[in-house]
Amino acid sequence: MGFLDTLFGKRERSSDIARDRLLTVLVHDRVKLTPDMMEQLKADLSAVIARYVPSVDAGAIEVTLLRGESVDHLKADIPLRRTPQKL
Amino acid sequence: MSRVITITSGKGGVGKTTSTANLGAALAMQGLKVAVVDADIGLRNLDVVMGLENRIVYDLVDVVEGRCRLRQALIKDKHFPDLCLLPAAQTRDKDAVTADDMIALTNQLRAEFDYVLIDSPAGIEAGFRNAIAGADEVLIVTTPEVAAVRDADRIIGLVEAFEKGHPRLIINRLKPRMVSRGEMMSIDDVLQILAIDLIGVVPDDEQIVTSTNRGEVAVLDRSSRAGRAFVEIARRLAGEDVPITVFDDNPGLLNRIFGAFGIRPRGSER
Ligand SMILES: Nc1ncnc2c1ncn2[C@@H]1O[C@H](COP(=O)(O)OP(=O)(O)OP(=O)(O)O)[C@@H](O)[C@H]1O
Ligand SMILES: [Mg+2]
Repeated sequence: MGFLDTLFGKRERSSDIARDRLLTVLVHDRVKLTPDMMEQLKADLSAVIARYVPSVDAGAIEVTLLRGESVDHLKADIPLRRTPQKL
Repeated sequence: MSRVITITSGKGGVGKTTSTANLGAALAMQGLKVAVVDADIGLRNLDVVMGLENRIVYDLVDVVEGRCRLRQALIKDKHFPDLCLLPAAQTRDKDAVTADDMIALTNQLRAEFDYVLIDSPAGIEAGFRNAIAGADEVLIVTTPEVAAVRDADRIIGLVEAFEKGHPRLIINRLKPRMVSRGEMMSIDDVLQILAIDLIGVVPDDEQIVTSTNRGEVAVLDRSSRAGRAFVEIARRLAGEDVPITVFDDNPGLLNRIFGAFGIRPRGSER
């Protein structure tokens, strides 16, 4: 990445990219959630949520592992479909 | 009380052998009695870095298997009479020694030396476990690169699992100019990721290559930035409270222009 790119904010600094990739890879190294387990987790999660909130959009659930200061986080983003309002 | 300190890393080639040789010499410069042990069985290296390869008669495995006494295998350094090398075997494989052998060996060395520095092989296998078996403390070497830091994290976990206390970190081959351009992770980036105490930062320095060519350690050369960094680390190891300096190379053109306007490049200091 060149100096001018940095100056004009064209591209993210490669050191920031390195740090972010490391943070992600290290949490995954430690928690040892395989992609298969991740998929299963999402399916189970949507089944449980659907019992309470039927409008859960099962295919759009996102689960991510994040590294925090002292603890790591398993974060789930569970989108709900907007059912058209009944008049 | 003598101290046994193992220098290790997850990824290979990050500077363990260079660090062991330079820290050993720097501690000997302080008037301490130091043994450096090459525990990389089968891949003997520390002898050539110290320029002692022509003097080897016996090695670590000969001592462990009782073919010679420890005294006979120790080689005196060319510059410091109180610095000795115990070379690794070159023709044997790493299964030639066990963790118990290493504990017995380090206990023998404790009787003679103030500091015993052990140059560990990279990785998480038996060779690494043997190298830390007799250690009181562990230093982990990494470069500021993604793969090296990732593997360092793994090793930190293992060192803690083996109850060797909290290891301390050497960041090697830092390029302050790249850091200030945002092209290399900074010291703070690495420390934030690894959550470990820092014992020192060694700059990337071409003089490491030329001194290794000659079989001389960089700490002998006062103009070597890496050498000066190792001298500082040795003082910190010995318990002195020395602030961490990041030894930068000559300012580049851009920095000189910025410097003229009173703008300091970011990240060149901690
Ligand atoms: N600060 C530095 N500046 C420039 N070159 C360096 C520096 N530190 C180490 N090197 C070079 O990097 C290479 C690897 O160093 P070294 O042999 O010490 O690593 P190592 O961790 O012991 O490797 P291995 O895992 O193979 O045992 C060598 O060629 C050495 O000269
Ligand atoms: Mg080595």
